[in-house]
Amino acid sequence: MADTVNKTLDPRVNRRGFLKGCTMAAAALGLSESMVPKMVEAATSAQRPPVIWLHFQECTGCSETLLRGAHPDLANLILDIISLDYHETVMAAAGYQAEQALHDSMEKNAGKYILVVEGGIPTAENGIHCKIAGKTAMESLEEVASNAAAIIAYGTCATFGGVQAAKPNPTGSVGVDKLVHDKPIINISGCPPNPVNFLGTVLHYLTFQRLPAVDSLKRPKFAYGRRIHDHCERRAHFDEGRFVEQFGDEYHKLGYCLYKVGCKGPETFANCPVARFNEAGVWPVAVGHGCIGCTEPNFWDTMTPFYDRIPNVKIPGSGIVEDADRIGTKVLGVTAAAVGIHAVVGIGKRLIKGKSDSEG
Amino acid sequence: MEYEKKKVWSILLRLYHWAFALSIVTLCITGFYIHGPWTNSLTEGSASFVMTWVRFVHFIAGYVFTAAVLARIFLYLFGNKQERILEHLPVTPRNIKNFFNTILRYSYIKGGHDTDRLGHNVLAGMTYVLIIIAAVFQLISGFYLLFPEVPIWEQYGVLIFGSQQAARYIHHLLMWLFMIFAFIHVYLVIWNDIRDPEGLVSAIFTGVKFQHKA
Repeated sequence: MADTVNKTLDPRVNRRGFLKGCTMAAAALGLSESMVPKMVEAATSAQRPPVIWLHFQECTGCSETLLRGAHPDLANLILDIISLDYHETVMAAAGYQAEQALHDSMEKNAGKYILVVEGGIPTAENGIHCKIAGKTAMESLEEVASNAAAIIAYGTCATFGGVQAAKPNPTGSVGVDKLVHDKPIINISGCPPNPVNFLGTVLHYLTFQRLPAVDSLKRPKFAYGRRIHDHCERRAHFDEGRFVEQFGDEYHKLGYCLYKVGCKGPETFANCPVARFNEAGVWPVAVGHGCIGCTEPNFWDTMTPFYDRIPNVKIPGSGIVEDADRIGTKVLGVTAAAVGIHAVVGIGKRLIKGKSDSEG
Repeated sequence: MEYEKKKVWSILLRLYHWAFALSIVTLCITGFYIHGPWTNSLTEGSASFVMTWVRFVHFIAGYVFTAAVLARIFLYLFGNKQERILEHLPVTPRNIKNFFNTILRYSYIKGGHDTDRLGHNVLAGMTYVLIIIAAVFQLISGFYLLFPEVPIWEQYGVLIFGSQQAARYIHHLLMWLFMIFAFIHVYLVIWNDIRDPEGLVSAIFTGVKFQHKA
């Protein structure tokens, strides 16, 4: 029987908030209403999965979005349905105590705990760019991952290397799945990712005892199966051809489509328009800024310039970085000039030599 | 001087050519619109659906383009002598000779005509093979952009291009390649038709070329 009167969870989570959170997660997962009681049951059962949360090269923004939602229910819910044994930035313990907690949890729950990784793992120079307790991030990850039941890479750093992996990637930062190959890995990308997707993944794991279906980048399909563009509230403006020409113009004020000012919604897979953030119903496009594609690999290289549709052309060795259409026009111009010269030479030659050449 | 009529291009090749050419023109115009829509339909509720229509035309033209490319690949393997791929690549001594001969003719160093074959010269044939290869990448990137959730396109798209944005970027650059190719192609066809009156321009409508009687 589901514990809907809430005897096991944090008293600050009221029944309404708890059911709301479970229903949100069920909706994000695309499950029917009838699954909600099962999820409630799984969430309230005594078998809370132990979770070890590691931080590497990152800004902690992922934990921040989780903890600082406008409404505390979601964060409390997540922290209540899992047993968070080790989390570097929110735990009270420090120093040796913290190391002890990590060590104890790993030993006690060997093969059963979920490892959550937040932050990229630097690999250059044997990983010396990120060290915790004298161990490099690579060593920590290898050690903790070896006994994990599953790994959730949380945020674009842990999934694809993060902003520090932008060219030329001086620290050799990579995502978890580049280093760990023998464990089930779920990538919940985003900068920051939506906590609903984390909750959905964990509840899916609790309810069905397995991780959700993933796409080719190991992202759960329930959250990253469709493009932002396909669920965008401004889509009607796109289809009818109404666009913001520049930020702050009349069309911007009217809430037209941000396509021409570089919105990357058409190439970004995420459920932001549906799940939204902070339980206040907002997300970047809703407040008038185009999507920057933060859930996609290497978005700081491939999605830039953020206010243009496609990347500039970089001609290697020359240092030339220019708009594709400007380069295309130039190449076409040079071709036209070459064709013109070729034709003039032909005509000139015929005028000098007479018609004999062509009849020969 | 007497000429004789020679059948060169099959009906399928001519259909391929015009499907390919017209679809490229349509795809470039609609593609430019989709990349940077130059109209703004200002009035809300005007039911203009301009972007939807342009995209619709682009996708139809994309299917025509795909059909044309598949037809050309079929003809590379099973077409007549002029249409098969071995006639087009500088892989046999005869083709290599024709290749350099063509370069010399095109740079006005050598006069005379191509007499060793009825079909394309090897420089042109090789360029067409490269364009068809580019077209294959163009249509894969196109279908990946259109159907990112369909497993096969997702698989190949991610494998070849990495991401939607990279595919869009390549898709756009290849469009410029097709435009520049089309420009040079039309010029050289007219150039050849003037220098060597074998009826090259009409051949793509009729399938017939004229050759000097030996």
